[in-house]
Amino acid sequence: MTAATAAPPRRRAWPGVAQLVRERFRRWWQGRLPRSDTVLLTQRNVYILPTPAGLMFAATLMVLLLASINYQLNLGYLLTFLLAGSGLVSMHVTHNTLRALTLRLRAPAPVFAGEPALLEAVLTSPGTARYGIGIKLVDADTSTLTWIDVPAQGQASAHVGFVPAQRGLHELPTLSIETRFPLGLFRAWAIWRPGSQLLVYPAPEQPAAPLPTARALPGGALRGRATDGGEVEGVRAYRRGDPLKLVYWKKAAKSLASGGELVSRDTASAVQQQLWLDWQACATLAPEERLSRLAAWVVAAERAGAAYGLALPGQSIAPGEGESHRRECLEALALWH
Amino acid sequence: MALSLPNDPGWRLPHWPGWSRLPREGRDTLFLLGVIAWTVLPHLSHLPAWCIALTTVVLAWRAALAVGNGALPSRWLLVVVLAVAAGLTYWSFRTLLGKEPGVTMAVVLMALKTLELRARRDAFVVFFLGFFLVLTHFLYSQSLLVAAAMLVSVWGLLTALVLSHMPVGQPSLKQAARLAGRTALLGAPIMLLLFLLFPRIGPLWGVPQDGLSSTGLSDRMRMGTVAEIALDDRIALRIRFSGQSPPPEALYFRGPVLSRFDGTEWRTLIPSFPPRLQPQAELRVTGVPLSYEMTLEPLRLPALPLLEASPGTPQIEGLRVRGTADLQWLIDRPVLERLRFRAEAHLRFQHGPLQTVLGLQDYVDLPPGFNPRTLAWAAELRRDPALARAGARELAQHLMKHIREGGFSYTLAPGEYGRNAVDEFWFDRKEGFCEHFAAAFVVLMRALDVPARVVTGYQGADLLPVDGFYIVRQSAAHAWAEYWQAGVGWVRADPTAAVAPDRISRSLRLLPAPGLVAGALDAMSPALLQQWRDAWEGINNRWNQWVLNYSRGQQFDVLKELGFESPNWQDLAKLLVISLSTLALAGAAWAWWDRHRVDPWMRQREALLRTLRRLGVPAAAQDAPGTLARRVRERHGAAGEALAALLDTLQAQRYGRQARRHPDTALTRSFAAAARGLSPAPDR
Repeated sequence: MTAATAAPPRRRAWPGVAQLVRERFRRWWQGRLPRSDTVLLTQRNVYILPTPAGLMFAATLMVLLLASINYQLNLGYLLTFLLAGSGLVSMHVTHNTLRALTLRLRAPAPVFAGEPALLEAVLTSPGTARYGIGIKLVDADTSTLTWIDVPAQGQASAHVGFVPAQRGLHELPTLSIETRFPLGLFRAWAIWRPGSQLLVYPAPEQPAAPLPTARALPGGALRGRATDGGEVEGVRAYRRGDPLKLVYWKKAAKSLASGGELVSRDTASAVQQQLWLDWQACATLAPEERLSRLAAWVVAAERAGAAYGLALPGQSIAPGEGESHRRECLEALALWH
Repeated sequence: MALSLPNDPGWRLPHWPGWSRLPREGRDTLFLLGVIAWTVLPHLSHLPAWCIALTTVVLAWRAALAVGNGALPSRWLLVVVLAVAAGLTYWSFRTLLGKEPGVTMAVVLMALKTLELRARRDAFVVFFLGFFLVLTHFLYSQSLLVAAAMLVSVWGLLTALVLSHMPVGQPSLKQAARLAGRTALLGAPIMLLLFLLFPRIGPLWGVPQDGLSSTGLSDRMRMGTVAEIALDDRIALRIRFSGQSPPPEALYFRGPVLSRFDGTEWRTLIPSFPPRLQPQAELRVTGVPLSYEMTLEPLRLPALPLLEASPGTPQIEGLRVRGTADLQWLIDRPVLERLRFRAEAHLRFQHGPLQTVLGLQDYVDLPPGFNPRTLAWAAELRRDPALARAGARELAQHLMKHIREGGFSYTLAPGEYGRNAVDEFWFDRKEGFCEHFAAAFVVLMRALDVPARVVTGYQGADLLPVDGFYIVRQSAAHAWAEYWQAGVGWVRADPTAAVAPDRISRSLRLLPAPGLVAGALDAMSPALLQQWRDAWEGINNRWNQWVLNYSRGQQFDVLKELGFESPNWQDLAKLLVISLSTLALAGAAWAWWDRHRVDPWMRQREALLRTLRRLGVPAAAQDAPGTLARRVRERHGAAGEALAALLDTLQAQRYGRQARRHPDTALTRSFAAAARGLSPAPDR
């Protein structure tokens, strides 16, 4: 025996038109808001309206008032007016909960397309403690609200995740911050368009194609390691002095779990070879898929600890390694057009 | 359809983890259940037994589910239970409409709704039903105690509401209660304003009145009925005089006048003569009227017991008061609410026709076949040569003398009387209370051919006034007699005064045996008990005067004090709208001002940083006072020691073990003073 908990969606007369108008209005409204990473919530940008529960409360008050009038109950009047007064005060409290808060966005780290990006909003209260503040993306539904309390004269941070679909430098999505504290009769909200931009790398190809083979350098001795391409060259037991970067963590974890020891990548066989991740090497693919494959290669090469260069039409990045090199390559892939 | 019952084999009492270790959801639910139980509790005496049992079981079950984190029952079960409850309600009251069935159904709904609390946010229905349940209590009683209990309920409901909007972590109940209390307290001025100014209008539609049964004065008298209210210590009315208060023995509050006697029962007269021939009121008063203010408890009587004798009709909002020929003040409906009004009375007065009118015949009427010995005794008296030509006055005096000297005694427990009650009382038992004496006196006067009637009402008051109000209790209910004398009119005769003068002059009432607690208290310290009682009645009186009796008349009084010449309800509405708008504007203005408010710590910090930068000390916003002190010492050395010391003090004030709540303004001032003595470019 199961109870139906979800009501069937209501049908509207002209679902298309109403939705369209509302959508247009909202976009126009949001477009007017200036983008900024720091926002001070004031009376100008905090909105407030009664919730459905608030309307129900008003109806209850009407019933109580009618009963008081009809039965000539002075205590009934007192009860009704006490509740009405509390409701009115709660409106101010709800608005106060958001007002004077400072919202600051921590610059988000770049992510791959299709992976969740976490925005960290820091809320600062100049005065009293604020309770029950929820943050979400404007377009998301209410169930995804992230709830936080802000201590008096303190800060609290909330994380809102979203998944960017495309590579490139994106504007951050619009956030909405709302509260119904204390009685839930009113909902105060503010719309926040953060000013930062988010760099989104192309989604790495899944499953990743094998790395192209490294080319032996013609003659010249070049510093830096190179790999023979393909799968990771080989592994050996960890030796003291091995850089942590060489530890093959995936295998090491398995090995440790089965009572073994740490495992390092064997780079002894490294010869002076050069790995070029080349746009031309994946000529059979569509441009975006090529970028995905190149991104996957960058990730794989970096993980393998190899030095690699990136060649894009009209742009090439000399071979190198390390976090900044990786970032440079991925950024080039993200912004290439 | 198979129902999953709560007591299937897998079900047992959940383990109680302890209040502090209860998960948040469970704790909040238990708290809400507690508040609901508290709200329902005062209804116990009005609810049918099945409803009490059902509510208890449901609440206990829900509590067990909350503790054990069990699954809520299906909606079908609830629907079935609700249907059964509706059936039981109909079975109990034979209707689903009206007060009692309504309250019963509201309680059942409330209990069942708790089984549907799936999410914290679903709880709104419970909250609003809760507020409604609170109101239903006022249908039964609006006493101070009920008000206090319901205030707790409202606070609890608001607390639960606040709790459900604090989704983060595990906020303490105390914190939520504080926030709810603050919201309600801030709302109190609005409540007061609305209460004072919201126009009071009469009932919008008729509401069925439930069967009224309350002891007190009634429009009929049978020997024994007054004994019941003589034991009733509740307050009937309160009275406050504008000038000098008259002595209690002069206070006769005239209630129903009973002139028709059928042998066992006294009732109001149905005149057998046309109005023209009936005796008229013909009130003749002397002296200055005594002005007073009266608060009348709901007596459920279509008459007002006004102080004798009232020369004019009192004006009472919403009531039509009509004076009768026998000086009663009748109203068009039984009073079910407390009344507060002003009236006047003349304690020295005469009334009734001076000459014989035919209608007086109604007042010598005696039913045949009752009290033969009394009639014979009266005939004997008539033959007495000393009284052969005596007027009504002499006859009354003779009867009074007989009562005084004939071995009569005043008692509250005279026992039951038979068919010829007056015979039995006058000749055999000779004990009774006011109504026995009054009835016997009237029967004898009538037997002597003197028009007479029984007047009921209240006599006397508590000796000491509370807040200037004299309290008249139900136990002051009294019955006396009036006889008619040519050339004078109706004359009051109180035969009880002849046998128990204390009953009249000192308002001594025979007290019933006190309850256990009161008895113990009384034994220890009678004065203390009386003091407590007086204090309690004083508070209760103020409650009645200012809260329960506040009606349109008082509203207009308030307006008059505010300077309105002749207030009407439009003024009331105007004032209300203006006040509320002012309040709203004030709120907006405060919010606007609040925008510019800076945290006082920040303000102090800004001032210090400015000073330091002027002195060439590198000072950034994030530097702690201790760090700044070190830099001041580095740069200014001994000359900057005073400044550095102040910064160290600030560090302690801000972050030390005994950190201050608010910044020390004296410190800011001495810091500025110390900085004045330093130059920006120190000599190193």
